[in-house]
Amino acid sequence: MTTYPGTGPVIFDPMTLPVDDNVNDYTFCVDLKGSQWFLQKGKMIAYYGSIEFNGIGHGPLEHLVRTAFHSPLHASDWVVAQGSGKMLLADRAFDVNSFDLDNGNLTMRSGNLLAFQPTLALKQSIIPGFLTLIGTGKFVAASNGPVVFMEPPIRVDPQALVGWADCPSPCHHYDHGYLTGVWGGVRALTGFGGACGEEHQFEFVGAGTVLLQSTETLMAEQAAGAVPQEPGVPGGGTPGQPGATRLPGQLGDLSRRFGQ
Amino acid sequence: MFRLQDSKVLAVDMTGDAVKAKNGSMVAYDGQMTFKKLTGGGDGIRGMVTRRLTGERMTVMEAKGHGTCWFADRASEINLVHLQGDKLYVESSNLLATDAALRTGTTFTGLRGASQGNGLFTTTVEGHGQAAIMSDGPAVVLRVSAQYPLIVDPGAYIAHQGNLRQSFQSGVTFRTFIGEGGGEAFQIRFEGDGLVYVQPSERNTIAGDL
Repeated sequence: MTTYPGTGPVIFDPMTLPVDDNVNDYTFCVDLKGSQWFLQKGKMIAYYGSIEFNGIGHGPLEHLVRTAFHSPLHASDWVVAQGSGKMLLADRAFDVNSFDLDNGNLTMRSGNLLAFQPTLALKQSIIPGFLTLIGTGKFVAASNGPVVFMEPPIRVDPQALVGWADCPSPCHHYDHGYLTGVWGGVRALTGFGGACGEEHQFEFVGAGTVLLQSTETLMAEQAAGAVPQEPGVPGGGTPGQPGATRLPGQLGDLSRRFGQ
Repeated sequence: MFRLQDSKVLAVDMTGDAVKAKNGSMVAYDGQMTFKKLTGGGDGIRGMVTRRLTGERMTVMEAKGHGTCWFADRASEINLVHLQGDKLYVESSNLLATDAALRTGTTFTGLRGASQGNGLFTTTVEGHGQAAIMSDGPAVVLRVSAQYPLIVDPGAYIAHQGNLRQSFQSGVTFRTFIGEGGGEAFQIRFEGDGLVYVQPSERNTIAGDL
């Protein structure tokens, strides 16, 4: 057997790959021992052993999906890996990190979540474009740059937000003086007169943790359809219509920045 | 002598010897260096013809002299590969630099190349020496041995070396066509004895969305 000495990179085999941990900042290794993991489609880069990938609609998975998957809008983005072996996950060379939830809940942007153990239940958040994980288990999330944990009260830039855990109340915050009046309207619509790009934030108060990424590059979001059209369901009915008529005095495209 | 200045810059210390590198990838040098473009990806006239035919076109320059020369390309991560008489298979777009003593050529890859959207051919590097390959994010090097075959996503594969057999496996079933695919419709299976380099990112492949 040939050897490859010198300053070359570390060589991994199934024995030396970590168990449910990061291989490097950008690659995560999942150890499957006859168990199952949910993962976002196409995020597997390599595996040892025998692992099978099946869509959420695969018949034998019915029971698992019933208990752990409550996001019909995202069903086409998710698959279940089952079998035994070591599987490597990565996403566009973004940082990946695993987090443990202990009988907790965490809400995050749907594009950032890579994989989770079926002991967690994935639920669609009532905030469009976000998913909530509830229960106990491990999940893997991608972020552009390392994740920073912050304590509320805090206001964050919408593009830097990855998610939040426990129950801080997420709401919008606008710098009122910057956006009202004739000049505010001109700024918002045209950018003339010093729109600084930070007139709008997400605000979190209450006990919990807010997760931020260290850049403002968003993960690509896939269109996931719309929630059922029912009275009282936020974002229900028709998906956001770009170019809808804008009434005088409205905030322009600012109000449509998030998800819809 | 190849060394990494940091993970994205390759430094080559030269004492009168030469190095082949991707055209235009030199970012700095000290000492005395001369640069010259090589025809046919460094394989001469034969290379001109085969590389044009196979689509594995690469423009290569030769740097020669005394001193240190630094190479980088689009802030890609750089990985060093030591070759001791074995053969490295790498996409021409992922090859940054090789020792001048290494031979480069092209070879047929079959369905793997097609599934990656990279064409049916790949570049080979063989001999004794060092090569530098590029990846989107630091590459993970995985050993394949007799008892541990490895399955790789075509979009994440960048290179392999050693005595490996590759076969193409497909997870396409009727479910793929009704939008219920497993997300990993095409895979490459490596068996034998060697190393496979994968990057933590997937190129766009025709199978990417299945």
